[in-house]
Amino acid sequence: MKARLALSLASASLWHRRKVLALVCLTLTLSVTLLLGIQYLRTEVKQSFTSTISDTDLIIGARSGQLNLLMYTVFHIGDATNNIRWSTFQDLKQDARIDWLIPISLGDSYKGFRVVGTDKGFAEHFRFGRGQPLNLAAGHWFDGIFDVVLGAGVARTLTHGLGDKIILSHGGGRTSFSNHKDTPFTVTGILEATGTPVDQAVYISLQGMEAIHVGWESGIAIPGRTLTPEKAQNRDLTPKTITAVFAGLDRKILTFRVQRDLNQYAGEPLSAMLPGVALSELWRLMSQFEQALLGITGFVVVTSLIGLIAVLLTLQTQRAHEIAILRATGASPGLIASLYLIECLALALGACVISLALGALAISMFGPWLLTNYGIQLQLRPLTFEEWSLLISVPLAALLVALIPAFSAWRQSRSQGFGSPGET
Amino acid sequence: MNSQSESSAHSPEHAPAAIDVKNLSFCWGNQQPTLLFPDLTLPQGEHLFLHGPSGTGKSTFLSLLAGMLAPAAGAIKLLGTDIHQLGAGKRDRFRADHMGVIFQQFNLVPYLTAEANVTLPCRLSHRRKAATGEAPAAAAQRLLAALAIPQSHWQRKVTQLSIGQQQRIAAARALIGAPEIILADEPTSALDSDNRDRFIQLLLTMAEQRNTSVLFVSHDRSLAQHFHHQLELGQVTA
Repeated sequence: MKARLALSLASASLWHRRKVLALVCLTLTLSVTLLLGIQYLRTEVKQSFTSTISDTDLIIGARSGQLNLLMYTVFHIGDATNNIRWSTFQDLKQDARIDWLIPISLGDSYKGFRVVGTDKGFAEHFRFGRGQPLNLAAGHWFDGIFDVVLGAGVARTLTHGLGDKIILSHGGGRTSFSNHKDTPFTVTGILEATGTPVDQAVYISLQGMEAIHVGWESGIAIPGRTLTPEKAQNRDLTPKTITAVFAGLDRKILTFRVQRDLNQYAGEPLSAMLPGVALSELWRLMSQFEQALLGITGFVVVTSLIGLIAVLLTLQTQRAHEIAILRATGASPGLIASLYLIECLALALGACVISLALGALAISMFGPWLLTNYGIQLQLRPLTFEEWSLLISVPLAALLVALIPAFSAWRQSRSQGFGSPGET
Repeated sequence: MNSQSESSAHSPEHAPAAIDVKNLSFCWGNQQPTLLFPDLTLPQGEHLFLHGPSGTGKSTFLSLLAGMLAPAAGAIKLLGTDIHQLGAGKRDRFRADHMGVIFQQFNLVPYLTAEANVTLPCRLSHRRKAATGEAPAAAAQRLLAALAIPQSHWQRKVTQLSIGQQQRIAAARALIGAPEIILADEPTSALDSDNRDRFIQLLLTMAEQRNTSVLFVSHDRSLAQHFHHQLELGQVTA
């Protein structure tokens, strides 16, 4: 009977003070939305980061650390320590344990975006996310030597369309002074957005990569020795070196043995690494930042809870009469205190429910827009255990801080005299 | 009832007095003067007018009677029970079961309707609920009607009603479930003289129907004529 009375009194009281409390609830809702949103993004970003590349069992390059290899092959950050020979690539092709290979040749750029020389295997075998293949938004993969396929981000930023002629630059950097201006490329395809570094690169054939570097052996173009598009057609453009190789194995169980064999490869010093392992290692390096972000958001929630308590304590002076009546009618100090606990808990629960709805609405509304415009992949999914516990901690914390006004009301009403306070 | 069977052992009368006060004194703090209160015995069903100018400790006396303040010395027996021998929780329950209260003003819970304010004691006390003999809402409606509150006001927020109506609703709350004692702390001070006399008549008539004792405190001596007994407060000693 007491519990039902407390509940009905608390809900009537909340409704009575809805104007003031709605503002407090709004503050709390926004901060909970922020907290939940950041935790959700953390999970999503981690998921999307660690699945930047999937289904690739080994990445093979010249001898170096695994993070370095990962950075320049997958994220296009930094440079290769060395190249590997074409003959090594041919050797790998003979290995029966290896199912498929994607050769990667790096070094040039187009207006700040990396140029990746590769072959048809890239379109066929490269996977990202949860095993999604690359799809073309328009056009087709490169056929000719001077065909280029643009990542979604490149096409969007530079507003290129099919059929555009583009001039690649030698080396990296946004403003390069040595351009391959004798050999323009034609855009034949544009990839769909993936939310991975794939969006931020342009793709040409290994032959194209070789062709634009004829006559550049000394690092700059020697006039008269570079190729024209016509001359290139009749030349053998088999590359002598490539930068790295993505490999898929027939049987995943052999991954470590193949890795060991490749690390001890007799032909030249190679490094083979597992992209999943390297990605997790890299994520650990960056996780301090996002931990700090989550911490800050936690403080935002604590701040709005303190605001809630401040408002409840202010309201307490207004409630003196009502508490005097309840006390005189026989309500115990415990019942009075429970009103504060229930009201605070109800506000926090309300804030949590509204922020859940807000978050779901925001993700379903802006998710597709984020992917096409910013390459950020964000989907609606059930909350993880961590997210639930974070969400549940809000009403628990509210209950904890509500002890402050509840205790003060309990103490006041214990020593409450007959009638209004101050009249006794 | 427990309290009555206990008291019959101590008291030669058949029914214990509604209120029995002996040697009562109270002190707000070490530096403050001690308030002394007169002894009084009020038989069940009779009414007492307690007169006292401001500052004579009227509200303190009521707080002591209601068990909300503890006396420095002396004993208060209500219906034969020494309420200050009870624990805090039992004292609260005793108040819910056996007492109705009417204040000077701000008598009602602002976020409840008139009817919900009247039924409040029934929700705090099983005894009061059982004593209505019907649904508390129906009992409340009969009381409100008897106290001339228009039916259109019953489901309204009490803050929209006049002071006179609010005081009558408070009277209905005090009367519901027929408690043995009603403590009224200057309930008519905000009313004009016509309303004041009508209020007291209604309250006392309905209290008599329920055999309820009313202890009525006021500084206005002209009201004393309505009551069986009257008593003067006012001896303050150091």
